[in-house]
Amino acid sequence: MGGGAATPHSSSSSSSSSSSSSSSIDSISNNHPSLSSASSSISLPRNTKRSGLSTDLRLGPSISTAHIHNCSSSAPSPRDQRVDWPPIKPLLRSTLTGKADNQRQATNLFVKVYMEGISIGRKLDLFAHSGYDGLVTTLSHMFKTTIFCSDPHVGGADHSGNYHILTYEDKEGDWMMVGDVPWEMFLTTVKRLKITRADRC
Amino acid sequence: MAYSFPEEVLEHVFSFIHTDKDRNAISVVCKSWYEVERWSRRRIFIGNCYAVSPGIVIRRFPELRSVALKGKPHFADFNLVPEGWGGNVYPWIAAMAMAYPMLEELRLKRMVVTDESLELISRSFKNFKVLVLSSCEGFSTDGLAAIAANCRNLRELDLRESEVDDFSGHWLTHFPDSCTSLVSLNISCLASEVSFSALERLVGRCPSLRTLRLNRAVPLDRLPNLLRRAPQLVELGTGAYSAEHRPEVFSSLAGAFANCKELKSLSGFWDVVPDYLPAVYPACSGITSLNLSYATIQSPDLIKLVTQCQNLQRLWVLDYIEDGGLDALAASCKDLQELRVFPSEPYDMEGNVALTEQGLVSVSEGCPKLHSVLYFCRQMTNAALVSIAKNRPNMTRFRLCIIEPRTRDYQTLEPLDVGFGAIVEHCKELQRLSLSGLLTDRVFEYIGTHAKKLEMLSVAFAGDGDLGLHHVLSGCESLRKLEIRDCPFGDKALLANAAKLETMRSLWMSSCSVSFGACKLLGQKMPRLNVEVMDEGGRPDSRPESCSVEKLYIYRSVAGPRSDMPRFVWTMKTLS
Repeated sequence: MGGGAATPHSSSSSSSSSSSSSSSIDSISNNHPSLSSASSSISLPRNTKRSGLSTDLRLGPSISTAHIHNCSSSAPSPRDQRVDWPPIKPLLRSTLTGKADNQRQATNLFVKVYMEGISIGRKLDLFAHSGYDGLVTTLSHMFKTTIFCSDPHVGGADHSGNYHILTYEDKEGDWMMVGDVPWEMFLTTVKRLKITRADRC
Repeated sequence: MAYSFPEEVLEHVFSFIHTDKDRNAISVVCKSWYEVERWSRRRIFIGNCYAVSPGIVIRRFPELRSVALKGKPHFADFNLVPEGWGGNVYPWIAAMAMAYPMLEELRLKRMVVTDESLELISRSFKNFKVLVLSSCEGFSTDGLAAIAANCRNLRELDLRESEVDDFSGHWLTHFPDSCTSLVSLNISCLASEVSFSALERLVGRCPSLRTLRLNRAVPLDRLPNLLRRAPQLVELGTGAYSAEHRPEVFSSLAGAFANCKELKSLSGFWDVVPDYLPAVYPACSGITSLNLSYATIQSPDLIKLVTQCQNLQRLWVLDYIEDGGLDALAASCKDLQELRVFPSEPYDMEGNVALTEQGLVSVSEGCPKLHSVLYFCRQMTNAALVSIAKNRPNMTRFRLCIIEPRTRDYQTLEPLDVGFGAIVEHCKELQRLSLSGLLTDRVFEYIGTHAKKLEMLSVAFAGDGDLGLHHVLSGCESLRKLEIRDCPFGDKALLANAAKLETMRSLWMSSCSVSFGACKLLGQKMPRLNVEVMDEGGRPDSRPESCSVEKLYIYRSVAGPRSDMPRFVWTMKTLS
């Protein structure tokens, strides 16, 4: 097998299959550019650890462009990680790629938010906020009310009339007022939010 | 003159007949046997929840106690089935709540189970005993709280690999103090911490508990207390298997394991600290099943552990075991029946572990009872596959996944047709096969010719054209489930073998070359098939009929087209 040509495997001479194959295989390789051609045609002795040798010998566009740039680093970027191949189940996949169940996804933390008295809730990405201030502001707009938490520097100015208190359910199943612990610690323990009437607290 | 036994005698005889196959066979002998059988059937397995309706089942079998249902197609495990596809169990629960107040067991796989469904289960069946939710989703810990609180005689609660909206571990405290009937509890898929004291009390008051699978959030230093309260355990799943190395924790753990003389199965082992593994050694001689799929430890530690388990029958492990570890396994574990090796770095194209085809060849040589294999690797040869086939003609399940699609035999650069051909030729009892690597139509010719007992076939990135599919559909007499992705299979083979599809449970084809026109034709020709086209890009009839469909799912059904299809699924019965 020759150098770094980008030829699909169907046209290689070693294949013994019928000649009518190439068009259908081409159409499939168009769907999956990262998997469009045969992988390593390297002849390796058994039990050789492949990492050192194969980066030099790796041929053909069987790996995505991003991976070519990342050849020397440990893992491909998340963008390269297909969720449908190789065929392993979701729990194993998330454990192995480090996005384990008890770790947060790097990019979002969506939690449910209910306002007392309204049965349909909303969802909110806590990672999109940098602190309690932003959270309370967003929720005040979402639910059209003044919201207080236990942090005195956060929340709307005094209003007479309707206002609400922000509470959350923590990992132990207890309902607590938002604002007592540092924001980062809050993020590790919050499960869902509830906006309750002030007279309940 | 008709010689017939009185019904009571028939009923008594039938009470010794348990398997579905046998029960189905006796029900077609004659009308009176059909009637006696249907009134006396207690247990049913429905492999595709859309193949039949709750009403039909209830009408035929009025006295069921145990129901098993499967929903989504198998490829849903790999994210090929979009969210909202279906498989909601609620209509079944609602119907069974009225018809089977004495229902005891529910086993669901790949179904959508809402909290509403769980709450209805907990309220409707006074004698409910067994709930197994395998790869299910749609429910939260609130639903689990209802089950814990209301099912007074609960024996099994098994959430294996389900996706649960996990608010907190608080639900476990809903088991009343009067609950002492638990035999099996599997919460390994949950993320949240459960209350440890509640768990200890629960374990302590259930003397028949034989299976306990903890979740990752249960720390290692809690394990000895739990084990001491349940020395009769047969199956244990640990939580996180890590702690700072403290001699008193180690000796407490080792003592607790030594005290569990009935242990046969171990799993869990998240975050393993190798120093703590020897605590398990006292139990190893009795171990028959070891699941180390989450144990990110290296080959030497794996070898030390595995070679202690001389009676091992089933091993699930990561490829950290390497060829050397598999050699050791082959030498020590002569009773091994099932081996699964998972990829530790599924997205790393090169792989940093020394696991090759040789490891599998070693095990196939050394373990005479090996009949079930699932093996992820990065290289393979026809010669290795031929060796494996000749070593193990007793193979019944063979699933090989070479991680890079269309990989050639790395020594000869040929496709792997001959290797897989040897597998189907020598392994005459083969029931399940998954293919990978570079494969042409030849492999399908071999499969169609030899694989007469094959019931399930999984194909990805293989074949040259329609002939491949035709070989399989026309040759594999026992085929029930066929799932295909990214293969150039088109209309001709499908239409030519339409009748075959009625003898199978289901056919899945995605990213293939089946046209919309062919799907319509198939739907029209075959009234007892549901032909469902999935397309998230819009109505398939808004494009020319020759366009390929994205995903196709065909299954036989006596219930007609389903009524709960989402907007991206079209049945070929309503579109004309």
